[in-house]
Amino acid sequence: MAKLFPVQEIGSLAKPRWRTKGLTHPLTSQDLAEAEEWAQRLDIRDYHDRAKKLLGATDQKTRTKELLELSTVYGLRLFEITGLDNDGVGGEQQRVEMYEHVIRAVEGMRVLGHVQSFDYKYFNKAVAEAKIHRKHAIYLQEFLDVRKNAKNPVKVPITGPYTLVDWSFSGYYSQRRNSSNLKERKLEAKREFLLDFVQEVIRPEIRDLVDAGATWIQIDEPAVTTHPESSEMDLFVEAWNETVRGFNVKFSDHTCYPSEIGYKILAEYAPKLDKCSHLALEFANRDGPSLGVDEEHRAGYGDLRHFVENGFEGEFGVGVVHVHDFSGDVPPEAGKGLERDIIESPELVRDRLLYATKIVGDPEKIWTNPDCGLRTRTWNVTFAKLANLVNGAELAREALA
Amino acid sequence: MCPNTQLAGIHSRSERLIELTRSYDRGRTPRVDTDRQLEEDTLQLINLQDGLGFEYLSDGALGWQDQLRPIAESLKGIVAGTRYSRWFDTNTFYRKPIVTSRVALGDFQTKNFIRTDLLPRTKRWKVVVVGPYTFSELSENRHYSEKSDYIYDLALAEREILKRLNEQGISSIQLSEPCLVYQPYRERQAEREELELALSAIGRTVEGVASDFSIQTYFGDASPILPKLLELPVDTVGFDLFETDYSRLKIETSKRLAFGIVDSRDSNVEDPSWIAETTTRARKHISSPELTLVPNSDLKFVPRQVADAKAQALAKASSLL
Repeated sequence: MAKLFPVQEIGSLAKPRWRTKGLTHPLTSQDLAEAEEWAQRLDIRDYHDRAKKLLGATDQKTRTKELLELSTVYGLRLFEITGLDNDGVGGEQQRVEMYEHVIRAVEGMRVLGHVQSFDYKYFNKAVAEAKIHRKHAIYLQEFLDVRKNAKNPVKVPITGPYTLVDWSFSGYYSQRRNSSNLKERKLEAKREFLLDFVQEVIRPEIRDLVDAGATWIQIDEPAVTTHPESSEMDLFVEAWNETVRGFNVKFSDHTCYPSEIGYKILAEYAPKLDKCSHLALEFANRDGPSLGVDEEHRAGYGDLRHFVENGFEGEFGVGVVHVHDFSGDVPPEAGKGLERDIIESPELVRDRLLYATKIVGDPEKIWTNPDCGLRTRTWNVTFAKLANLVNGAELAREALA
Repeated sequence: MCPNTQLAGIHSRSERLIELTRSYDRGRTPRVDTDRQLEEDTLQLINLQDGLGFEYLSDGALGWQDQLRPIAESLKGIVAGTRYSRWFDTNTFYRKPIVTSRVALGDFQTKNFIRTDLLPRTKRWKVVVVGPYTFSELSENRHYSEKSDYIYDLALAEREILKRLNEQGISSIQLSEPCLVYQPYRERQAEREELELALSAIGRTVEGVASDFSIQTYFGDASPILPKLLELPVDTVGFDLFETDYSRLKIETSKRLAFGIVDSRDSNVEDPSWIAETTTRARKHISSPELTLVPNSDLKFVPRQVADAKAQALAKASSLL
C-alpha cells in the first residue's frame, strides 16, 4: 500500500528579503545575515561558497541567476527538512507572482495599471492588444534549477489559462467582435482569447516542461468558481481539456477561495476535466479550530461531499492548515494563536484528514496540504505550520493503522 | 435634448495614490501624505466631471475601501468581520458585515460618504450607496430569524443615513441594487416573494427623503424585472446595457432612465459614436422623455486613466445625441 496522506505544499513561499533586495541592488554581508541563519537551520552546506559568489557578482545578470537558484534551494530544503513528500518548485521563488509573471512573457499583452483588490491591496491588470504569443519560456529555468537541486519528487504549479484570461482585459479580442448582443460578444471574445492563451502560451510551456522531465503539473485556477454560469464553466472545461490534450503526465487542479456557493459548481464539472487526477482545495479557512471528526466540528469540509456525489474519482489535496491572517480563540489542543497566525496542532491536522477520509471513503485518495501557498506567512510561521502538517499526517496514519 | 451624464459608483485611484496607500499600509508613509494625494485625486475627478458638464458631481468615493464599508460602519448591530468575500464575479473583495444585533443608525459621519468640503457649492452633488436588499444579501445575518425583519430594519437605518446626507446638500442619491439581477453566490435565485420584499424595502428607504433617487442594477439582466423597477417611488431607473437583453422589450415610461453604457469591467474605451448608436437602438425598445448615460457600475475595476477616458466618452456621446 502506498504511504497514506502524503504531504505537499501548494505553491508559493514568502520571498526572503535578501532575495528581493538582491534583484535590484548589490548585497552586503549584512544583507545575508538572515540567509546565513536559515542556511544553518536548513542544512545548506554550500552556503558559504554560494554567498561568496553572490557578494562577488559584479553584474546584475549573474547576481540574479545566483539569487534565484539559491532562493529556490532554500525553498526546497525548507520543504525537505520539514518532511514534505513533494518539493513543488521550492516555493516559486523565481516568479513575481502568479499573474504578472506569466503576462510579462506574453507578446500582445500590455500591463495597463493597478486596480484595487481590497483596502490598500491592488493588482496589476493587463490587456490583450494584439493576437497573443509566448515571448519566451516562463517556468523552464525554474524547473531546471529545481530538477538539479530537489531531493524529492517535484510538482510544477502553473497559472491556468482560464484565470489568466479572466483577470485580464480582452481588448483586441473584444474589438474583433461585432455582435449587437453585448453579453454574447463578451463571451465569444473571452473564448477566442482563452483558446489562444491555451495554444500560444500554455501548451508550448507545458511542452517545454514535459520535455525537460516534468511529471506532475498543477494548474492553478482560482478564478474558475467566480463565474458559476454554465457557459463559463463549459469554457473552463474546454480550455482545460485542450490544455492537457496529448500530454502524458499527471495533471492536477488547484482552486481556492471559491465564491459563496463554494465548490458545488466545480464539483459538477470536475469529472469532465480530462486527465485531472487530483484536486487541491482549500477547506481550513472555513473550518473551526477545535478537535473532532464529526460534522459539527468539521463544518468546513462539507463541500468535499459534492465532489464524491458528482463522481470525481481522483485524489484530493485537502487544505488542513490556514494560510492567511487568523484572529480568534484557539483551544490549546487545537493549536496556538500567534499575533496574526494560527499554528494548527498535529491533532487538528489529524482530525481534519480523518474527517475528509470519512467523506471520500478511501484514505489512499487523500493528500495533506495547506489551503494555498504560504507566501503571506513568515518563514518561521511556515516552518512551524509545515512541521505540524507532517506530524498531523503521521498521527492520521497511526489512527488508521 | 442631449442625455445627461453622471458617474455611477466608486472611481479608480491614481497610480500615485495607489503607491502611497500601499506604502502607508506597510508603515513606510505617513497618513498625511496619503490624505493629501486622496484630496488631489478627488479634486482632479471633480474638475473632470465639471469640465465635461456632468449633471451631478460625485467625489468618486476614492477613500472607500469597498462598496459596503461606509454603511456598515455607520450602523449599530453590525460588526466588521475579518472575512473578505468576493464582489460578485470580479477579482475584488469586500469585508463582509456581520449582523449581531438589531440594526439601527449608529455613528454617522458625512465625510465617510462624501467629501463635501471638496465639492463646489455651486453644483449639485451625487452619492452612490448600496441599497438595503443588496446589503442584506451580502452581509451575514446572525441575529434576525426573519429576513423581512432584517431588511426592513436595514431600510429604516439606511433612510436615516440618506436623510442626513440630504441635509448636507446631497441632491442625488443612487441606490445600487445589483443583487436584484445577479446572484452568483446563491444556488437558487430569488423568487417573486423575495423580489416584492426587496422592492418594498427600497420604497421604505427613500420615503420622506427629499433627494432625487435613482435605482441602478448591474452585472445582470434587468429586463425580467424592469416593469417592477419602474413602479418604484424613485425618479430614475438604471440598468446595465451590457447584460440586459432589451431586444424583446417594448416599454414606454415617464420615469427617467439611466443607461449603463460604458463597461466598467472592460479596458476598451467605448467609441462615443458607438455609445450614441447603441443608445438610440435601446431607446426603440425602452424609451422615456429623459435619459442619463452612466457607466454600468463602479469604474474602480479599470485603471484610473481608463476610467477617466470612459467618463469623457460618455460626455462626447451625449453631445452626439
